[in-house]
Amino acid sequence: MTQQMTTATRSNRFAVADLITTGVFTAIYFVIVAVAALFCNVVLTVAGNIFLPAIAALLAGPVYMLLAARVRTFGPITVMGVVLGLFLVCSGHFALSLVTSAVFPCLADLIAKAGAYRNTAAMLASYVVFSFGCLGPILPLWMMKDAYVASLERKGKDAAYIDLVFSHVNGAMFGVTIAAVVVCALIGGAFGLRMMTRHFEKAGVLG
Amino acid sequence: MTQTVERAAVERAGTTSTVARTFVQRDVAVGDARVAIDPRVKLAGVAVANVLMIMHVAPVVQMVAVALLSVPLFVAGKARAAVRMLACYALLCAAQWLVQMHVDALPWLHIVGLTANGVAMMMPCLVAGAAAFTTTRAGDLVCAMRRMHVPDAVVIPVVVIMRFFPTIRRDYRMIRHSMRLRGHAGNGLALLRRPVRSFECIIVPLLMNATTVANDLTLAALTKGLGTCARPTSMRTVRMRASDWAALAVLAALVCVGAAFA
Amino acid sequence: MTEERGERVADAAMCALRGCTFEYAGAAVRALRDVDAHVRRGEFVVLAGRSGCGKTTVTRLLNGLAPVHVAGALEGEARTAGLVAGRADIGAYARVVGSVFQNPKTQYFQACSTDELAFACENAGVTGDEIRARIARAARRFGIEDLLDRTIAELSGGQQQRLAVAAATMLDPDVLVLDEPTSNLDADAMRALHDMLAALKRDGVTVVVAEHRLAWCADLVDRYIVLDDGACVGGYDAQTFRALPAQRLRQWGLRALDVGGASAQVRRKIEETRARRMAATGDADGTPVLSVRGLRVGYRARSLFGWKRTPTFAREIPDLDFHAGRIVGLVGRNGAGKSTFARTICGLQRALGGTIAVDGRTATRDELSRAAGMVMQDVHYQLFSDSVRGELMLDGGRARCDAILGDLGLLDNADRHPMSLSGGERQRLAIGTALIANKRFIVLDEPTSGLDHGNMMRVGALLRALADRGVAVIVITHDDELAAQWCDELVEFT
Repeated sequence: MTQQMTTATRSNRFAVADLITTGVFTAIYFVIVAVAALFCNVVLTVAGNIFLPAIAALLAGPVYMLLAARVRTFGPITVMGVVLGLFLVCSGHFALSLVTSAVFPCLADLIAKAGAYRNTAAMLASYVVFSFGCLGPILPLWMMKDAYVASLERKGKDAAYIDLVFSHVNGAMFGVTIAAVVVCALIGGAFGLRMMTRHFEKAGVLG
Repeated sequence: MTQTVERAAVERAGTTSTVARTFVQRDVAVGDARVAIDPRVKLAGVAVANVLMIMHVAPVVQMVAVALLSVPLFVAGKARAAVRMLACYALLCAAQWLVQMHVDALPWLHIVGLTANGVAMMMPCLVAGAAAFTTTRAGDLVCAMRRMHVPDAVVIPVVVIMRFFPTIRRDYRMIRHSMRLRGHAGNGLALLRRPVRSFECIIVPLLMNATTVANDLTLAALTKGLGTCARPTSMRTVRMRASDWAALAVLAALVCVGAAFA
Repeated sequence: MTEERGERVADAAMCALRGCTFEYAGAAVRALRDVDAHVRRGEFVVLAGRSGCGKTTVTRLLNGLAPVHVAGALEGEARTAGLVAGRADIGAYARVVGSVFQNPKTQYFQACSTDELAFACENAGVTGDEIRARIARAARRFGIEDLLDRTIAELSGGQQQRLAVAAATMLDPDVLVLDEPTSNLDADAMRALHDMLAALKRDGVTVVVAEHRLAWCADLVDRYIVLDDGACVGGYDAQTFRALPAQRLRQWGLRALDVGGASAQVRRKIEETRARRMAATGDADGTPVLSVRGLRVGYRARSLFGWKRTPTFAREIPDLDFHAGRIVGLVGRNGAGKSTFARTICGLQRALGGTIAVDGRTATRDELSRAAGMVMQDVHYQLFSDSVRGELMLDGGRARCDAILGDLGLLDNADRHPMSLSGGERQRLAIGTALIANKRFIVLDEPTSGLDHGNMMRVGALLRALADRGVAVIVITHDDELAAQWCDELVEFT
């Protein structure tokens, strides 16, 4: 009986400690995403928002790598994505953000798990996939054209020209966004891994 | 054993019921004065705003939605923020109108029109989000989440995030101060001169402190029994009142009207 | 006969350690060695001893964190109110033991103070109405009505610690365990904490405090248990303990039982400094490194569009001179503007009025930042490099860097990561970064908070060595013993 209680406490301890660690790191990740969003909106204007996931990916590498190394079990990465999605949706971003920021991090978690949360290549790949979780908030950009065409048609104006131009632009925008995310996530992830060996391992905070 | 302790504690607490009653009354009085809106209604507002956006509703419906969704901000005394958002929306509408007047002569105005239209399309979401995010106390949100049977795996990180935001701000200020004294990047623009080094100087101490805080918080939370009760209770009572049901009805009506004018 | 009696005492005990030996997971040394101790119901016991003597470990055995949640190997038995460490569930402990920790900034879980008070009750499944009743009762009992419904991050350290005590007693625990609760507090806050614990003692709560500062709660204590190097050195009732020679306490690394002498000396030094400043005409001591004239410090809240409003916080600072080779202590209660003054003379924030001169020349904010070194209370925000040597090499050559590391006793650790050092070593490293950058003056913010007697004296000697290198040393401190023994001048902020 007493033995049983001890094991119960143990698993429970992992739950609570890991959830708190996840919360703390998600707070930092959320701040990074907010800074990236501010930068995109102010410096690159509304259309620049397509680079939001890329810039977030560039900055969040150390946060992601340290969280994975601190916990080394399935869950925290997924929870980080889901909670970020919740915060984004609650603060007025597109509702599908919740879907992207749950699905991609979950996949990323599985990839990292396959590499036992240690394998460098697996961690990089997992970070790239994770970074797509931030696509949600910018999805409405692809709906902007339809909305605009609708508003033109409502005024009885000819929207064929817009339609034509944007059939090309939309595809290109999508390609650019994806490419930027992959490149930035690789750079950010590599930077994160470097910070791990340079600082966190050496300082002995990996637990 | 623990049950007896609990019962004894409850009995001891019972002797001070008068204090309790005055406190409860005061609490209710405070709540009434502010006419708090149930967080779940605000979340429903966010959901409705998203639905309207996907449906590409007519401008009239969009305007009505923005106006209605900004009501919680006014109610919570955030009139200044609400006015700012409404002014922003008015500007966007004006821009769209001007573009549509002149776009036949000046085709490049399409860029302005597209942007203004796009941001205006997101405006109901942003207003509803601002209302949900800035007028809800962390405790009420948590209570609402527990009511909606959100699992601990989400509730606990959310509580920690709310608690940790001020710490991040304070940490950042301290780090920038010491960077300045060490002669790195005394002001904001100088950060960009050596961006990688600057970023390392900021993110590493921030994460180091985060790990310490996470450890300390875990110990403190464990000694307060976090995660040991199957059904944690809540001090706050989140209740759907008549006004909340009315607000929900208005939101539902909005969706119907939106569908009719899509 | 005596043994039998001993048994009976232990049975009546609220907390009992029997032959406890504890080793932290991954640590080479034992934190506790064969410790026997007990605390009776309703007793107020201080676990005394120097830093690292094992008193924190004892508190962790008493509140059930060790050996499960703080991993380690325990031999012997630690029992609190019938619960056995390592066997009982932490949830059961949460209902009978309240815990208060050292750092007020990292032990609250909620953003809002009222939620924090409710937290333990919510986890224990107490009903909402009952929780509100208990909060009202706790607010009355401890006089903390003013702390309800506040953002905890904006409270002072003393207020946070009072809130922590109140939050730890929300489930009406039988035992309250406090681990160095005063290490970040000023005298007023310590008094407030004392009053809270006095109220708990009156109500029959068993209180266990791990401390090396003894003065603040001396009148409440029933018994002292002294630990040294992981072993229990002795248990003394209050009267016997008070009769022990002061030298004995020093050997155990303890601070004075009575700080009346130090306080009187502090008052005297403040008066002397004031008298000397009044009498001094011209530059009898040469040009001061730093002098302030007509200074007003504080900050303005920025409104929405960046217009500056009237100051939300402003303090007038007396005209002061800081000379090379002298240690000047800044004392006074929290909120008197000491830290704001420190940030202002370091060029980290704009002065509201007046002038600051370095070496006789009025200095701009950038010049002040170049001349100033600072050792913060949270020194880990100041270290950026991946090794101790690298930290100094950012500003200087190898030879000079190694010379300074040698002086500070850090040369053996030159290749380690700064964050893997102990608190004292990190503090010395931060001083090293100021030395290698040839700073004209160095401000230290509470350098002795949480330090036992031996470490406090080491910091004092370090300040003296720093001053002897020709630096003006400015120390913000609440520590009367440091101020009395090591500061040349004392300025009181009111």
